[in-house]
Amino acid sequence: MKVASQDFLQQAHEALRAKDKVERRDLLGQFMPAARDAAANAYGDFDGLRAHMKRVRGHTTEHLAHYLQQFEEAAVAHGNQVHFAATAEQLNSTVLSICQTHNARRVAKGKSMVTEETGLNELLLKAGLEVLETDLGEYIIQQAGEAPSHIVGPAFHKSLAEVRELFLAKHKLGERALESVSDIVEEARGVLRERFLAADVGIIGANALIAEHGTTMLVTNEGNGDLCANLPPVLIICTTFERLLPRAEDAMALQRLLVRSATGQSHTCYTSFYSGPRREDDVDGPLETHIILLDNKRSDILASDYHEILDCIRCGACLNHCPIYIGVGGHAYGWVYPGPMGSVLTPLLTSLEQSHDLPNACTSCGRCAEVCPANIPLPDLLRDLRQEESAQQLKPARWRRGLRLHAWLLRQPVLYQRLTGWSMSALGLLGKRRGAFRRMPFASGWTSQRDFPAPEAGGTFMRQYAARKRRGGRRG
Amino acid sequence: MAESVRAALFARLRERSPAPAEPAEIARALATIGYATAARMPHADLHTAFIANVLANKGTLELALDRGAAVRAIGRYLYKRFRTHKLVAGNDPRLAAMPWRDGGVLPRFGAAEPGDAAALSYARLGVAETGAIVTFTGRANPGRNNLLPEDHLVLVNREDVVATLEDAWAKIRIETGAGAWPRGIQFIAGPSSTADVEAQLVLGAHGPCRWHVILVGDTPAQALEQARGELPEA
Repeated sequence: MKVASQDFLQQAHEALRAKDKVERRDLLGQFMPAARDAAANAYGDFDGLRAHMKRVRGHTTEHLAHYLQQFEEAAVAHGNQVHFAATAEQLNSTVLSICQTHNARRVAKGKSMVTEETGLNELLLKAGLEVLETDLGEYIIQQAGEAPSHIVGPAFHKSLAEVRELFLAKHKLGERALESVSDIVEEARGVLRERFLAADVGIIGANALIAEHGTTMLVTNEGNGDLCANLPPVLIICTTFERLLPRAEDAMALQRLLVRSATGQSHTCYTSFYSGPRREDDVDGPLETHIILLDNKRSDILASDYHEILDCIRCGACLNHCPIYIGVGGHAYGWVYPGPMGSVLTPLLTSLEQSHDLPNACTSCGRCAEVCPANIPLPDLLRDLRQEESAQQLKPARWRRGLRLHAWLLRQPVLYQRLTGWSMSALGLLGKRRGAFRRMPFASGWTSQRDFPAPEAGGTFMRQYAARKRRGGRRG
Repeated sequence: MAESVRAALFARLRERSPAPAEPAEIARALATIGYATAARMPHADLHTAFIANVLANKGTLELALDRGAAVRAIGRYLYKRFRTHKLVAGNDPRLAAMPWRDGGVLPRFGAAEPGDAAALSYARLGVAETGAIVTFTGRANPGRNNLLPEDHLVLVNREDVVATLEDAWAKIRIETGAGAWPRGIQFIAGPSSTADVEAQLVLGAHGPCRWHVILVGDTPAQALEQARGELPEA
């Protein structure tokens, strides 16, 4: 997918102007955290589960080569063809060549963020294949020609009325009401069912790779991924090596975290473990299966100080809890992964030059780290990226000069206290009558949205602190 | 090219641990981590907990004392839903041996086709922790039987209900230990659903719209009432 993260600020401004979408996101920001909290509380020791998973991940990462080899050997023994792709282009061309080998025309896809990342659809379409996204949210945005706005609910930004208009325009099914969400789902079910049955190739992702059995775990609610994995004669699983876990039980622990953090469920409708092509005992299933393992800079990330972001299980909890994501929505981020996890991943998977505004789209409130089921220190990683941004001088020169001046001033306590004391007294006097300022020089960004409060009498914190100390050293 | 990409990745991963540990050593380290603790159960009794979670997953459930009662329950269900007694079921010896005539049910044994309204599976396991049932793909239960029909009916034996997902895998390991690994192992917990439009839950996304579980064996009727919250727990 093409990167548009360099225009984050402008995209964010535009997003904030669409009032109806802002209201939708506000609801999302209330509803999703409530669902997640209820599920985490009902679980029991959810923090204990998070800590357990962290230990399993740490162990797996430490022995990644061992587990990858174990997985590959078991998967090949099951009859899979395992491919390695260093870059997005390599993954895409591997998929295309498999499709071409089978003279495939129709491809049915389950939800896969990895193929969003590599822009697979574009290449397949260009090569003349029909590519159909089958997850309802992905199908809606594919029909609308848009990118996902959320990693779990790709079409959360669309209203029922918008989806209705879209379906009436795209599906030539004559006059019909299509008034409720159920009507929409039923129509999509009917339209897509035919195409599942006619597909030559199924493409899915994987939520985990189980090293001991060489199987992949697929977690869905709609059942579309399972139809892709069971109906077409060829199955291609596009995934990445950091999904590896040693044992099936570890995948179940991950699933427990994932469903509660993503949707507040205790179990998704379908949790499937696929091992390979049709067996002697099978009467259905693919005749040929491929697993493509994409690197795309992940081995670089693994060797860097940002390696913990590879523990991300794509639940979307950090998006739902982030005031910036809820404010501006997923499209503003300009690439596949939005929100806190996206603000870490996008600079690492694309480039910091293109996306250095994203690590700044953070209030350091820490909610993402509080709820992250993988215990990723997201605010720390975002801060480190901001530091790197500064070291690489990616901010405008004026901004950098301002920061340097500020840093210098902070290191001169006497001067700093004097200056802040003076400006506070001056602002207090000037704003005494209204108690706030409508306009301020150098702060138009702030005052364009809200008033700047005038300081109250009593002086700066340091002055009050000193006065209190003089009065008798009381602590309070 | 493909081989060099693979070799380069393995080389990079090995850089991280310059002195690779012996597999036995890695296995020991993993064993000390152990398994996760399971979710809190809604009821102390295993079967009541299983039933409660099946219902929480938007499934429906009834109890059948034995296979004869199960067949009659299936017959009633099919007639009520479709005014028919047609059903597709996998070539599971347990299903073949059922007294179908008693319930007036006419099963076709094989893989589900697009026109089939209802399919029946005999689950290998039930999991109380999540209210899921487990099936293996194969002649006994083709993968598409779980997915294509409008209604998915599932029989599960009382004695095959386990407490946790770890317990389920312990059983799966035993079942798969002797023969070949099945192509697919599916944990199913409810009818297919989506909340992709307006975050509103709708049942029957791409898979079955209804999921009906029949728990076979001598389960007291009050377990169902307790699971529904109609009767306080003893």
